[in-house]
Amino acid sequence: MSKNSVFVGLFGSGKTEIAINFALKLKSAGRCVAIADIDIVSPYFRTRDARSLLEKRGLTVITPPRQLMKADLPIITASVAGYLSNASHDVVLDVGGEESGIVVLGYLEEHLKDADFYFVVNTRRPFTTDVEGIVSSIDRLRKHARIEIDFLVNNANTGDETTPKIVREGEEILEEVSNLMKIPVAFSVVKKDLKVSDTAFPIFRIERFMTLDKEVER
Amino acid sequence: MNKIMMKGTEAIGEAAIRAGCRLYFGYPITPQSELTEYMARRLPQVEGTFLQAESEVAAVNMIYGASSVGKRVMTSTSSPGFSLMQEGVSYIACAQLPSVFVNVVRGGPGLGDIQPSQGDYFQATKGGGHGDYKLLVLSPSTVQEAADLTGVAFELADKYRNPVLIFADGLLGQMMEPVSFSDKKVSYDNSSWALIGAKNRPARQVTSFNIDPYGLEKMNLELQKKYKLMEENEIRYETTLTEDADILIVAHGTMGRIAKSVVEMARKDGLKVGLFRPITLYPFPYEALRKSAADVSLVLTVEMSSGQMLEDVRLAIAERTRVEFYGRMAGVVPMPLEIYEVLKQKIGRRS
Repeated sequence: MSKNSVFVGLFGSGKTEIAINFALKLKSAGRCVAIADIDIVSPYFRTRDARSLLEKRGLTVITPPRQLMKADLPIITASVAGYLSNASHDVVLDVGGEESGIVVLGYLEEHLKDADFYFVVNTRRPFTTDVEGIVSSIDRLRKHARIEIDFLVNNANTGDETTPKIVREGEEILEEVSNLMKIPVAFSVVKKDLKVSDTAFPIFRIERFMTLDKEVER
Repeated sequence: MNKIMMKGTEAIGEAAIRAGCRLYFGYPITPQSELTEYMARRLPQVEGTFLQAESEVAAVNMIYGASSVGKRVMTSTSSPGFSLMQEGVSYIACAQLPSVFVNVVRGGPGLGDIQPSQGDYFQATKGGGHGDYKLLVLSPSTVQEAADLTGVAFELADKYRNPVLIFADGLLGQMMEPVSFSDKKVSYDNSSWALIGAKNRPARQVTSFNIDPYGLEKMNLELQKKYKLMEENEIRYETTLTEDADILIVAHGTMGRIAKSVVEMARKDGLKVGLFRPITLYPFPYEALRKSAADVSLVLTVEMSSGQMLEDVRLAIAERTRVEFYGRMAGVVPMPLEIYEVLKQKIGRRS
């Protein structure tokens, strides 16, 4: 496993939640962890919105400078590259959705040679409800960012209405994608309070940060 | 179909397509560019046309053209963009053409910021552009409601041959929630008035001017007659725990949803608080609000603005009951606890 992990995917696939939880998990395993918000497309519900909460939990949070955090500008803080190449920190990158978001990886390319790339899929999101949609989405993003995907992440959910059936339905679709594209599935994301057993992939429990009340508490 | 997770913007786009909209002209602006993106991706799949205009002024005039041939057409924008469209909106209203506009409101005035706001209420409900015209204005408070009201918007636009505005705010646009769509097949027929070729019949005219003042006044009177019908038939609102309420909160859209949490908090403390949520901002539910407020001692209006809907609330209540206001501006969203504290202060009772 590389010290640098990059989460990519379509808009609203759940990259930010998973990146945050992934970083916290590394932290609890005793690592020094930095999470970098390099999302240049989403106006709300970004890692930077949970910044103080995450800093309290011991993460180094890399965001644009405070006075520019709410600006409608594509800012990538220079220190991202520093953390990526510095052995002292494990780095988790939260990348913006679609081609427009993923282009920033070009700028960081030389620092990402050994990074693990995770492609997050929610099979209950538009354009990724079936194998064909997912495969073409992965292809598009791969071409735009000139990267290879190392792992798929099953994040099938409908928020508070998620059932074990929805998680397993996502696994079935991703299993097919996995066989077709020869990319392994890293884990299935399950929110903290949902009872699920007999999943095909390891379970990755998450706590939610991108909620309405957290978004507006600035 | 299965429920899927959608942002408010995406849900409005999908609902428009399911309502038969095959034409979208627009110009991207935060925080609603996902709607433009969604239409760019989805419309070609259903043999529709997506066109990114060179500006909002161009987009609104494309809407004008497309609606005059009777096609279901939509655009979406955010506050400064909608300001730019106003001249065209007024033309479309005068020419009596159906079309659907979406304003995902952000902080203003001026360039403002990209955070959620309701500061465009006056613009939406009191005209916005020039002249004596009205838009039908719908204010959803959840992603599902945004989808449902989009279908309603297209129906109403055709029914009254009038532009309909979906008044959302940045939060509703960006928030993701599970949503489902009906698979019902939608059909519509505007052939009785649309400009679709005048072979074997006298030519029709769609126009937004008449240089004879008496002629123009006649056009105006027709519009006024139509608005009266809307006021009689199209009022929508939702009430929560108003029957036994002693205090009434009035809030719409995202604020209405947040106010619901305030009602829950207050009820837990034994305070009889209810919520009145206007869904149509024009026509405003004056009569219904008056009735809901008949037995309360205090009405608190909460908005993400300096108090714009407040004027309509006061018109409804007149001097019968004390009307108070709480609002935040510029993209700051009042939170339930904050509103609850204000409410307790206004009641003169602290816990």
